[in-house]
Amino acid sequence: MGFVDYVQAIIDGLLFGTTYSLIGIGFTLVFGVMHKINMSYAAASLAGAYCGLIGPQMLGLPPWSVFPLSIVAAGVIGYVIYLTCFRFIPLASPLATLMSTVGMLLLVDEIVVHATAGMPQNYPAIYDGDPIELGPFILRADLVGVFLICVVAMAVLLALLYRTRLGMATRAVAQQPVAAQLCGMRLQAVNGLTFVVAGLLGGVAGAMIGASVGMLSPLIAGTITVKGLIVTVIGGLGSIPGAIVAGLLVGAAENLFQAVRNVTERDIYVMLLLFAFLVLRPGGLFAAARGRD
Amino acid sequence: MDFYYSLAQIIGFHALLGLSAYVVLLTGQVSLAQAGFFAIGAYVAAMFTVLAGWHLVPAMLAAGLAAAAMACIVGFPALRVRGLMLVIATLAFGEAVRLFFFNFDYQVAKGEVKVGPLGGEGFRQIRWFPEHGWTGLDVMLFVWTVVALVAGALWWLDRSRFGAVLRAVGEDELAAQSVGLNLTAVKVTAMTIGGFIAGLGGAIYAHYTTHIEHSNFGVLLATFAIAYPILGGLRNVLGTIVAVIFVQGFLVEGLRFLGDWRNLLFGALIVLAMNLRPNGLIDAATARRLARLFGREARRA
Repeated sequence: MGFVDYVQAIIDGLLFGTTYSLIGIGFTLVFGVMHKINMSYAAASLAGAYCGLIGPQMLGLPPWSVFPLSIVAAGVIGYVIYLTCFRFIPLASPLATLMSTVGMLLLVDEIVVHATAGMPQNYPAIYDGDPIELGPFILRADLVGVFLICVVAMAVLLALLYRTRLGMATRAVAQQPVAAQLCGMRLQAVNGLTFVVAGLLGGVAGAMIGASVGMLSPLIAGTITVKGLIVTVIGGLGSIPGAIVAGLLVGAAENLFQAVRNVTERDIYVMLLLFAFLVLRPGGLFAAARGRD
Repeated sequence: MDFYYSLAQIIGFHALLGLSAYVVLLTGQVSLAQAGFFAIGAYVAAMFTVLAGWHLVPAMLAAGLAAAAMACIVGFPALRVRGLMLVIATLAFGEAVRLFFFNFDYQVAKGEVKVGPLGGEGFRQIRWFPEHGWTGLDVMLFVWTVVALVAGALWWLDRSRFGAVLRAVGEDELAAQSVGLNLTAVKVTAMTIGGFIAGLGGAIYAHYTTHIEHSNFGVLLATFAIAYPILGGLRNVLGTIVAVIFVQGFLVEGLRFLGDWRNLLFGALIVLAMNLRPNGLIDAATARRLARLFGREARRA
């Protein structure tokens, strides 16, 4: 393994890392408005990607229909999770929503295993053209497609948050829910819509993970949950730019670890990376001014 | 009858797992790392009895100490963060332990067969109980002696000065700090005690199943660990043990006739329970009502 191979590994990691960024943003968005972690988020995102497969497999739609169907399904699942795990549970009991979303994580996982009989499902690639050559480096065309779609999704989200009334309401609720309510915003509606938006992003991430891995298996959910949470922590809870940067960092680092060691060991080093951050920068890269928690 | 002995053993090591999370939860920390300590205990104890030929009891103590040492080391960085960040940090630690054992090979030839942990295939033939002619009843009595000792020690701890310190940190960190308690020391101590208990539980688990592998120690087990004290409430150790008996005896064994659907029902039940009783099955109001039923307790409260 020479220097070129390591740089190549980092490039591939950065391209795939955008999916981690999206999952991290989803966790962080919900944390931002409700100060709660939705543990079932990553599993629900992958469940959305599974739902997308219903289109071509059962309804006879063309293969590309997987992607929009996945995104819509994940948005719907996001709202269902809001209703079942957050809407009717008092915000004052922090353990309750944690437990309810862990319960939801187990439930979603089991439904997927049940529906697919535990078998991995093939997932169509986003684009299968020739790889792009860049000097000694090769850019995998499908990963470039994944990268571009994820970047577009992030751009749409940022535009939504900073250029629309809904975005302003979301940010207002995140800053100070009582004041936002006094200004006439409907807290429940904003919270619910945040779950839908996070769910749609998760759907993009789930579909892109499926497209770049080439298949979906129930085993992916646990890994993505932990990676997404690590991205959220490294980026700083509640920080969207932090989640984007941390997603790319984790993606690049994990691919580098994989090149240096091997695929079964790489995740151990990702966890150690998290612990390094906890020791040296407990608030994350872009910690909120309020400090850690 | 063997079925009931076996069930009692399962309840026994799950009770130890629940009690380990109980100690940590007393200081207000939600730790998803208990399954990781449980795994360390399981592998260490099994390696001592199978590879080194130790007696089970010293092997269990060694397993407990190994898990406690790990908990102490992890405690320092992890407990710098609170609340949800700690949940994530401990979840990541638990996964790291699981992945470590997924990659861990250490095989020794013993007669014609090679024994010892073998990565993804796990660690087979942990046969200390059958090799020493223990019957199901013996094992059950042994397991419950350990549970009784641990529960008794925690009961005593709860009534000691240190128990009050643990609860003070759990109730209000700021107030505890302002009366001069060292938060880090208290939390790391609780984590270490929890690690020791989880290590004992893991040691028993390894010898109960005779075959352990990394997938036994995933997020599901970590969820079970914190679910017991949360369901049973933090008033005393009995709540946790009652919750274990309820979950393992009734939900897991009693609903076996549902087959595959049981797993689906389990997640749904947690969601439902949290919607209906967000403060645990036995919350403060229920506890007071129960206490009034048993008059003596009410006067003390």
